[in-house]
Amino acid sequence: MAQSNFSAVDEYGFERHDDFDYESYEDFMSNYLKVLATRAQKWATLLGEGKSVKRTNTVKRYVRKGIPSEHRPSVWMAISGAEKMKDQCPDLYQKILDGPFEKELVDLVKTDLPRTFPDNIYFTKEANHQTHLFNILIAYAHNNRVVGYCQGLNYIAGLLLLATKSEETSFWLLKVLVEKILPDYYTKTMDGLIVDIEVLSELVKSKVPDVHQHVINLGLPWAVITTKWFVCLFAEVLPIETVLRIWDCLFYEGSKILFRVCLTLIKANKSDIMACNDFTSLAECFKAIVKNASALHCHEFMQSIFKVPGTLSNATIIKLRARFAKQRREQQQKEQR
Amino acid sequence: MATNRSGAAQRPNGAPQTKVCQFKLVLLGESAVGKSSLVLRFVKGQFHEYQESTIGAAFLTQTVCLDDTTVKFEIWDTAGQERYHSLAPMYYRGAQAAIVVYDITNQDTFGRAKNWVKELQRQASPSIVIALAGNKSDLAAKRMVEFEEAQAYADENGLLFMETSAKTAMNVNDIFLAIANKLPKSEGAGAAGAGGARRLADGEQPRPSSCCK
Ligand SMILES: Nc1nc2c(ncn2[C@@H]2O[C@H](COP(=O)(O)OP(=O)(O)OP(=O)(O)O)[C@@H](O)[C@H]2O)c(=O)[nH]1
Ligand SMILES: [Mg+2]
Repeated sequence: MAQSNFSAVDEYGFERHDDFDYESYEDFMSNYLKVLATRAQKWATLLGEGKSVKRTNTVKRYVRKGIPSEHRPSVWMAISGAEKMKDQCPDLYQKILDGPFEKELVDLVKTDLPRTFPDNIYFTKEANHQTHLFNILIAYAHNNRVVGYCQGLNYIAGLLLLATKSEETSFWLLKVLVEKILPDYYTKTMDGLIVDIEVLSELVKSKVPDVHQHVINLGLPWAVITTKWFVCLFAEVLPIETVLRIWDCLFYEGSKILFRVCLTLIKANKSDIMACNDFTSLAECFKAIVKNASALHCHEFMQSIFKVPGTLSNATIIKLRARFAKQRREQQQKEQR
Repeated sequence: MATNRSGAAQRPNGAPQTKVCQFKLVLLGESAVGKSSLVLRFVKGQFHEYQESTIGAAFLTQTVCLDDTTVKFEIWDTAGQERYHSLAPMYYRGAQAAIVVYDITNQDTFGRAKNWVKELQRQASPSIVIALAGNKSDLAAKRMVEFEEAQAYADENGLLFMETSAKTAMNVNDIFLAIANKLPKSEGAGAAGAGGARRLADGEQPRPSSCCK
């Protein structure tokens, strides 16, 4: 892993672009490798006794500090409940793959295969990940007809594949995300997504009112800024190591984590946001804050998401979601009349 | 194609006599018709064989110079999949221009483009300038939408129309220029597609708008 500092391709197979900042990456890695070494030891002790991971406070604390990449597949399966789902119908995945498939879904998924991580060496035509990705997405589309195929799932499944190196594990993790962990982001009407964007907007308004007002004044809706954040669960948004660390917590703690990340990005970069005085610079600012040094330094970033936003209770999220879901239903009824 | 931005960095005679206009432009159309590719060609002069699918929308800017006016486009490149449709009004609201894109090798995408035009005519600003782009014209061998059919439709609806290719760059700058020329701002900006338009360097900030808002 260490030599990847100097490689043109990172440890997950992504090509580093011309503008890749090797210096600041090395600076980050030299510290992070120490963290990784310590965590690897701790996890080895935890898992070494042959126990499977349970949802305990120790495990939760460990997860917040990062799951070593070699343990991610099994730990994600265990802490998210995906393992349990799979135990209930162990041969589901293989059965779906026996087909037959609907042509319309096949075409939809196929269109996006070469358009998913084209700059990743495992996803080129010659490599095999496009085939795996097709299987995961087509299986899920047939398994969950309400969702079918929603663009964005390709990036999630693709990153799951890179992290777990297993089609079937990726399928179950995708299923548990869409059906248990997240609200209905990916259905035809994307209601859960639209509601969660409203929830975020409300949280920003109450926690960082001046930023909220400023962004509104410059005419940039929160939905424009954050749709991709929510839909892709920060894949293709934040640096990959940071995304995986977020997913560690997402699989354990649920979708509330997404609000913590959004609020941290907004609050920690408050002065940059407030310094923008027109629409264009603000839009550019939101592109920059997901790529800057604090976004790259995943360990510190993950510590900050539990501090920067302040208290955020599940009850608050539930209440806000209910409120905006109701508003949305009423709105839709009005439009139908 | 004038893709070399540094080569076009100076203003004529260094005298900033030009007016600067800023316009919001949105790209709409079915997934994979080439919206992002058109923007990438226009803004960076590049083409990627495998362009990533757009989630939500992407924002870019590009500046073109007409004879006496600098036009700065704020471009919203949107996601094409049908289920992202409910988010679209956010992007076309307040837009002064729209490019509705279809793929000439796919009849369905032309139907979808017509629906976008209808929606814009109903819901967007009444003065919006709409251009229809029949993209992937380099794939003429697989053509499913006839040029004449699209031209007739565009004429009926008062749309600018061109067949474009993000791959070969054909008509890409031209369609943006045609829009820039048609946008209400000034007297006599010249004929569409004329060589009078140039790009400014990245860092160059146009002065605050003194005309059209
Ligand atoms: N031959 C050819 N291919 C093109 C052209 N424009 C785009 N493509 C290809 O078509 C595919 C889709 O292009 P995109 O630009 O991603 O399409 P999009 O409309 O932005 O799609 P969404 O983001 O999913 O809405 C890519 O693989 C492009 O390389 C063109 O002019 N000619
Ligand atoms: Mg696109």
